[in-house]
Amino acid sequence: MSAIFLLIILFLGLAIGVPVAISLGIASISTMLIFTDQSLLSVSQKFFHTMQVYPLLAVPFFILAATFMTTGGVARRMIDFANALVGHYRGGLAMASLLACAFFSAVSGSAPATVVAVGSVMIAGMIRSGYSEKFAAGVICNAGTLGILIPPSLVMVIYGAVTESSIGNLFIAGLLPGIFLTIVMITTVAIIARKQNLPRQKKVSLKDTVKRGLDAFWGLLLLFIILGGIYSGIFTPTEAAAVSAVYAFFIAVFIYKDIKLTEVPKVLTDSAKVTVMLMFIIANAYVFANVLTTEQIPQVASEWIISLGLPAWGFLIVLNILLLAAGNFMEPTSVVLILTPIVYPIALELGIDPIHLGIIMVLNMQMGLVTPPVGLNLFVTAGVANMSMEKVIQASLPWLIVLLGVLIVITYVPIISLIVPKLLGLV
Amino acid sequence: MSKIIPKKSSYALDKLEEIFMATTLAFMTILTFVQVILRAFGTGWVWSLEATTYSFAWLVLVGMAYGVRTNSHIAVDLVSNMLPPFPKKIMAMMAIFVCLLYSALMFYGGFIFVDRLIDLGNNARDIPLPRWALTSMLPIGFSLLAYRFIQLGIKILNGGQTSLGHTTHKADKDN
Repeated sequence: MSAIFLLIILFLGLAIGVPVAISLGIASISTMLIFTDQSLLSVSQKFFHTMQVYPLLAVPFFILAATFMTTGGVARRMIDFANALVGHYRGGLAMASLLACAFFSAVSGSAPATVVAVGSVMIAGMIRSGYSEKFAAGVICNAGTLGILIPPSLVMVIYGAVTESSIGNLFIAGLLPGIFLTIVMITTVAIIARKQNLPRQKKVSLKDTVKRGLDAFWGLLLLFIILGGIYSGIFTPTEAAAVSAVYAFFIAVFIYKDIKLTEVPKVLTDSAKVTVMLMFIIANAYVFANVLTTEQIPQVASEWIISLGLPAWGFLIVLNILLLAAGNFMEPTSVVLILTPIVYPIALELGIDPIHLGIIMVLNMQMGLVTPPVGLNLFVTAGVANMSMEKVIQASLPWLIVLLGVLIVITYVPIISLIVPKLLGLV
Repeated sequence: MSKIIPKKSSYALDKLEEIFMATTLAFMTILTFVQVILRAFGTGWVWSLEATTYSFAWLVLVGMAYGVRTNSHIAVDLVSNMLPPFPKKIMAMMAIFVCLLYSALMFYGGFIFVDRLIDLGNNARDIPLPRWALTSMLPIGFSLLAYRFIQLGIKILNGGQTSLGHTTHKADKDN
């Protein structure tokens, strides 16, 4: 009963245009006041407490790092390098966009940030070279989702925080699926390029390629600092995020010299704005998840699903459908916060590895990012490409098939997610 | 900006919000970074983590209201886009009402929380300041949020904007 009420209020709020965060909040508060004897005091405590959850501190730091790298020329150098590597193939600019998204994902933990970093340069570039607007926007919108699969990843940070599993292990597990998805997407572009006879770029000389590689090196080095630092135990994922932010500031201002010290406050304000937007949703999602728990909804749902006696593969289908549906209406971090307590115990019971489950959830969230009505990447792509939302949705839909295909493979071939951590002796 | 709100007074608050948010984010980042460096030398500040988390809370609490002003909160406009102007306005006003109700309830909850902490009277774990003072931004933040929603409501009534938050139309770019 209370669960139905909670969902009705949530969807009513969303439907009349109440911001997502407040829809979550008002649904939680009203359910609590009507169905439980908890007071408003516990809501505000929970809200405040969200910002004291240590792993979540990684959110502002990773966002700050990504903003420094976008405005500070790191993204541009990665794009140049990617162009030198694959630009001369048919459809080269699109492939380079994909590769640049993969590179940037390796230093940023957020998908929308990746779209902004690569899309603001490459969408216009592709259209100028004769690609259709639709194709250009579709590639970037979807490739940007790599941001949460290739480490670091904010969604993994949240998943790790909720399940109390190692965020470092999740990061390392995301590497191979990320590379796999990148390759599948590049192959898709290659096939389309052949069919539609897409243009190619002039071949860049080996010398120039090396030069651009060295130029981009400072940015790419960050992935090794993050993973190395976490893996060797020098710092926690949260500290890794802060180190990334300081590092990104340093190379943007002192090595590349693309931003002046006077422009730093603007970068800080922009990052703070994005941080708050996300954290406001996350804090309300925390309150929402808390109401679910006090109402014992995760337990009831888990027991019900277990009582169905589904085999592991059957549960994974249910899981994917559930996550895709939820991903349509909420942004990734809140879906993970709300649904993980429900699916995690079932997965454990069925012998699914927690790390594998985490990667499956991330991939589902990637699809949520590019499906309406709450696909963050759609919003951001529409913004950087100056296209209408409807057009961006049409542009990105065909790519869902690619994402879905990869999701199925990753779901049913756990070894892709687990082999790297296994080889490193982590699981 | 709405015509009804005098530009000058709200401008000072606007600037203050931005400066506060930028400074707080910088402070948190540097503090955490310094902590990593200090640990390499086998030392560190005990209060560092607590200072960071409280700063984080203040950043979010001040920033919520800022997000309303800059239209950066995400909202769905699937339904409202299909409506003619007048029903659309009514729906937006209903949404404003829900947001104000939320702000009021959260303000009240925050107020009780701070009140309890004043009664307890204890200091934070590592920072030599009373907990109620560090938590006081909770009700303040939600009253700021309510203030911004009232402003936005007036703007919508005057036809200056049609929906709440960052939706498909790049309202964001206006600022």
